[in-house]
Amino acid sequence: MNYRDKPALREHLAGEYVLGTLSGAARARFKGWMIADAALRRTVDEWQRRLAPMAAAIAPVTPPRRVWLAIAARIAAPSSSGPAHKGLWENLVFWRTTGLAASGVAAALLAAVVWVAPERPQPAPAPQIVRVPADVVPPSYVAVLADPMTRKPVLMVAAARKSDQLLVKRLDDSIMVADKSLELWALPAGQAPVSLGVVAPENKYLLKLTAVADQSLGEIPQLALSLEPKGGSPSGVPTGPVLYTGPCIKYW
Amino acid sequence: MAEQVSGLLAACARRDREAFTLLYQATSAKLFGVALRILRREDWAEEVLQESYVSIWNHAHDYSAGLAAPMTWMTSIVRNRCLDWLRRPSREVSDPEGELAAAAEAGGPGPLDALAQSIDARALADCLGRLEGKQRQAIMLAFFQGLSHSELAAHLRQPLGTVKTWVRRGLGRLKACLEPAQ
Repeated sequence: MNYRDKPALREHLAGEYVLGTLSGAARARFKGWMIADAALRRTVDEWQRRLAPMAAAIAPVTPPRRVWLAIAARIAAPSSSGPAHKGLWENLVFWRTTGLAASGVAAALLAAVVWVAPERPQPAPAPQIVRVPADVVPPSYVAVLADPMTRKPVLMVAAARKSDQLLVKRLDDSIMVADKSLELWALPAGQAPVSLGVVAPENKYLLKLTAVADQSLGEIPQLALSLEPKGGSPSGVPTGPVLYTGPCIKYW
Repeated sequence: MAEQVSGLLAACARRDREAFTLLYQATSAKLFGVALRILRREDWAEEVLQESYVSIWNHAHDYSAGLAAPMTWMTSIVRNRCLDWLRRPSREVSDPEGELAAAAEAGGPGPLDALAQSIDARALADCLGRLEGKQRQAIMLAFFQGLSHSELAAHLRQPLGTVKTWVRRGLGRLKACLEPAQ
């Protein structure tokens, strides 16, 4: 179903998503759309703001003490300096599908860009203009996907402009999950994610693109990895949480 | 209340555990009430509450006071988790004991009256009051009981399409009533 150029449908579905009447399958599909569609997330935010005050009618009930004990035990994790690496469910897709949360995600994506750039010395030296020889690195598309929580890079991909071979290199072996697959997605601005394939068990390998990189990655600002059933998403859109994302950059 | 909770969330973003304890004390009864109302099972509601507060702790830095009132933000997190729980594939198949319908009957004392008592929700209560009865009933059942379109249809003994239309039109009117300028 094409929902993108149908503002009334987007509005209806966002309201029903927040109200909670969508069936499991429709809810999962809608979440898949939200991941790649910031405008849709804003529409959802507006519905959260409209409807959430209804909860004021619900009488408070004090939870049993064991709930607090369990929470306190979980947040007392050894790494107290920042959010612990939570892996599967504490992730980007949670925030993107809850609504009313955006700034931290943007910061995490920026962090991935910063990682690609060389570290800036302090104080900055006088700029040196150097002519880069054309053959140092061939014109390529490069993306580094990182964990939005820890900012740790986990996977890098690159492809020469005219090649349909995408080099995939895993930077963190711990991202692989038994009995599940990680699927790589191109996230075109304002359109549904396009699958690039499932991450192979090999540490470094070539993944065949459906078209040369200029076509398949030319208009892609961002890539993402989602957790999917073994073998990849059965529906052609991400069905599981998006665990890692990174900007896709033209290098030439 | 809103300012206090906002301040506590900001302190949580700085990893202040004491602030998190105070935040839990100030908000957990409200949020547990929400989870319990939607899930209708204490063990599920406890589970969802626990997950929600761990998320709130880990992501307090994402909260932006300009974006939403703090309770709206936290309530959305809890409701979203409740709905994910109810819509998970292993559960959604059926309602063999008619547990949903029975629980929906016991909807509790007039939510509209309770809403009208709350300053935040007064405009919403007013707009809900102006909906057609069927639209209002469908929307309130969905919000308070977590019923899906098809569960609503079964409960109200109406065709699925009819119930979907009530929900859709009701939401549309609610929006127009809350934001008449647009």
